[in-house]
Amino acid sequence: MLDDLFFRVRSLFRRETVESEMEDELGFHWERQIEKHMQTGIDRDEALRRVRMEFGGLEQVKEDCRDARGVSLIESLVQDLRYGWRTLLKSPGFAAAALFTLALGIGANTAIFSVVYGILLRPLPFRDASHLVLLNETTPQVGDVSVSYPNFQDWRRQSRTFTEMAAVSGVKFNMAGSSQPENIGGLAVSPNFLPMMGVRPVMGRGFTADEEKAGAAPVVLLSYALWQSHFGADRRAIGQTIRLDSRTVTIVGVLPPDFRWVEKCDAMEPMGVWATHNDSATDRGDRGDLLVAGRLAAGVRMQQARSEIETIAAGLARAYPGTNAQSGVNLRPLREAYSGNVRPAMLVLLGAAIFVLLVACANVANLFLMRGAVRAKEMALRIAIGASRGRIIRQILTESFLVALLGGLAGVGLAMAGIPAIARLIPPDTLAGASVGMNGAVLLFSAGLVVLSMFVSGLAPALHSTGSNVQSDLKEGGRTTSAGARNRWRGLLATTEVALALVLLVGAGLMMKSLYRLLSVDSGFRSEHVVKLEMDLRTSQYDKDPAVIAFWQQTLDRVRALPGVESAAVGTSIPLTDDHSRNDITVEGTLPKPGSFPHPDIHIVSRDYGKTLGIRLLRGRGFTDSDRESFPPVAMVNASVAQRLFSGTDPIGKRFMLGNPGTDPLKWIAIVGVVADTKMYGLANPARLEVYFPFRQAPSNKMSLLVKSGQDVSALVSAIRGIVASIDKEQPIFRIATMQEVVNVSVSTRRITLILLGLFSGLALVLAGIGIYGVVSYSVTQRAREIGIRMALGAQPSDVLRLVLAQGGKIAVAGIVMGSAASLGLTRLMVTLLYSVSAVDTATFAVVAFVLALIAMVASYIPARRTLRVDPLIALRQE
Amino acid sequence: MNERIELPQGTLDLLILRTLALEPQHGWGISERVQQMSSDVLRIQQGSLYPALHRLERRAWIKANWGTSENNRRAKYYELTKSGRRQLATEEDSWRKLTAAVAQVLGPA
Repeated sequence: MLDDLFFRVRSLFRRETVESEMEDELGFHWERQIEKHMQTGIDRDEALRRVRMEFGGLEQVKEDCRDARGVSLIESLVQDLRYGWRTLLKSPGFAAAALFTLALGIGANTAIFSVVYGILLRPLPFRDASHLVLLNETTPQVGDVSVSYPNFQDWRRQSRTFTEMAAVSGVKFNMAGSSQPENIGGLAVSPNFLPMMGVRPVMGRGFTADEEKAGAAPVVLLSYALWQSHFGADRRAIGQTIRLDSRTVTIVGVLPPDFRWVEKCDAMEPMGVWATHNDSATDRGDRGDLLVAGRLAAGVRMQQARSEIETIAAGLARAYPGTNAQSGVNLRPLREAYSGNVRPAMLVLLGAAIFVLLVACANVANLFLMRGAVRAKEMALRIAIGASRGRIIRQILTESFLVALLGGLAGVGLAMAGIPAIARLIPPDTLAGASVGMNGAVLLFSAGLVVLSMFVSGLAPALHSTGSNVQSDLKEGGRTTSAGARNRWRGLLATTEVALALVLLVGAGLMMKSLYRLLSVDSGFRSEHVVKLEMDLRTSQYDKDPAVIAFWQQTLDRVRALPGVESAAVGTSIPLTDDHSRNDITVEGTLPKPGSFPHPDIHIVSRDYGKTLGIRLLRGRGFTDSDRESFPPVAMVNASVAQRLFSGTDPIGKRFMLGNPGTDPLKWIAIVGVVADTKMYGLANPARLEVYFPFRQAPSNKMSLLVKSGQDVSALVSAIRGIVASIDKEQPIFRIATMQEVVNVSVSTRRITLILLGLFSGLALVLAGIGIYGVVSYSVTQRAREIGIRMALGAQPSDVLRLVLAQGGKIAVAGIVMGSAASLGLTRLMVTLLYSVSAVDTATFAVVAFVLALIAMVASYIPARRTLRVDPLIALRQE
Repeated sequence: MNERIELPQGTLDLLILRTLALEPQHGWGISERVQQMSSDVLRIQQGSLYPALHRLERRAWIKANWGTSENNRRAKYYELTKSGRRQLATEEDSWRKLTAAVAQVLGPA
């Protein structure tokens, strides 16, 4: 068997050789035969004539040899393809409908898969990425937090399960540019980071071991993108200096174009340079923005590494209880950090897209069956004259393959048009530099879909057409037994379509309800008409507090004076952004155990912050202009603090301090007001403890300017830029967004999921409707005679109408029951995407079932109306 | 001139295998040999010889090698394989049984 296959395949692939060998072999025979005849004394021409007569048609002999060699299987496939192509061309309506349906199904899947591949599957551009692990610390109050640099150094020294570890700290730079100053994101890394990841600079050098120690000369690696956009991709950039945060830094290399980190990285500096200008480098309690990347030693499993690091962390907690008592560790594969929290949504969408494809295939199978009825006679004839069952199945599958292939090509085209639109829906932070687009892997996936579609849409018709009764089909053109079986198949397919559509609709319905509930959650602030502009005062002139206060105060005063501005404020830790600052506090008269101090979010705000963001004052007073330097320190707290730290009693006048008594200065701060909770960490997450300080008493270099205006807030941006530039022309402004956009981005994953699920379920709904329409409409045509007889015998049009509608109704009911059962199981998979809606929400199910029933009725009513026009006489004569 | 008879169905394979059992031979040689051994009674149709050879090759009863012919030309020589030899034995056996039975039915002439 295997030998035979090998022989056939060899014949196919070595076709040239096989053909020429055959030519030679037969040529030899001719020559010998001619010689033989010439030996009897006749001349060459006569000999040639005789040989020709003996031999018969040379081409025929060759063809017979080819047959004998078994090339014919493949060649008959080509034949099938040609035949299939011709039959498709003969029924262009059918072909177009089938092709279009599959194009939508395959297109949707290809587009979603390209996103899934880009974000979840595409190999990371690192050596042996599966051994790379990301480590961070945890605390009971917050969960995941960053790592302090001294802790990292101890982990690295003690660990045996990791061959290497490197610190990676997010850093920001103000880059004095040619036209407009910019704030760029970068990384400070241990010098072994790049070699550990297997990344080599495309030019220049990486970092040296010396550059790990504080005091190292300032050097930087540029991202490929920054090198291109700001240095014209000029090799001479290496060795040049640039100004970052008013420091002069030498460019020593350029990162490869495919390098990407969990957060955007445009410039990379060695840890030693970072340590030179960062006090936190030696502060074990300071967990800034530092993560640790490590490479697992060969053969070490994640679990072993985790327990080792946990042991090390426990040792550190004993040695340094003040900073480490409650610290835990968290390890995860680097890959996971890249896919972030979009994984569940992506998988749900991919599942939904597959459902759409299945509905599309069911529809195409239905079309094939419908056409099968027309071709029953042709098929019966072919079987009667000796075509084998396998041959007929192959023929039909070839046709469905052709449709699937063309549909797939069109689908890939559709996907290519749709991918940019989908990619735009995804916020850039989520993409983390991943590129989403068409590539080999995606095309391979589409090819798989084509094969799947071929079988799903062609198998039922193929099996059916060979199971029919040849004799009756020949006699009656497929009107009897096999027609009954065909209708059963078609009913079943339409039922499946309804069921699949129901599952998708329920999913979309649940998402819609979640998003609606989420957007009506009280966020604690008003997002309307507010624009946010971030600034970070990084240059050396802002090393002293008075300069910082003066900058913000001047900016505020002048922005307030702009026409149309209702109010303006500065603040840190803006709700729903990833900008957080937290600190331990100690309430006067309490002494918690180490590590269990209250750990609220810290807001540093100006006078009108509450007014600008619409945060309600519940008790006491807001900040005034006299809450400033050299005045008694004051604070506001949110309702959660009042509730949990003061058990609901009035906290006005009570005092607390920042940090822990004993290690921090005993500086008491009086509470003057209580404000409503705000949703700092996403609308779906509960509010945490929050405290507010007046910015003149606790100046911060990095703040957001919030401006509220009755008119279009975005129109103010250029005027604000002008004001900032006139105060400090090198100060960049970045991440400008309206608060409405901030809210939208915070629910973007759910929003994209809803949009795409809605699109998919709408598509499935339409296809299911068409499926029912097809079944009912076909059976009306088929039963014209029966209807004619009924009407001739006195049936009322309404009776006949009911008879036909009942058929569509049965399909709808069966589909809804099947789909509901499936949904009960499947919607559980999307629980993480839902908010305050149960995965088995009765109302959603009821509405969806109603919509489907309605569509089913409409889809059956349109063809059913035709029965009313049936003329009994004509119908009876139709045979 | 001798009387020629048509080859009964299925005997072509047997004749080819039998001929090749003597020595490797090319197509033309096979047809000559059959004609010669049957004293010119059996003549293989050229049109059916080559498809039969290719079919037998595919079944791995014979295998082909290019060699040099008696008149110094490149020719495709076929030879019997092990399984071909077994097949020949089976076919010879059933042929003998068949002809004996047919002869018995026809009775002495």
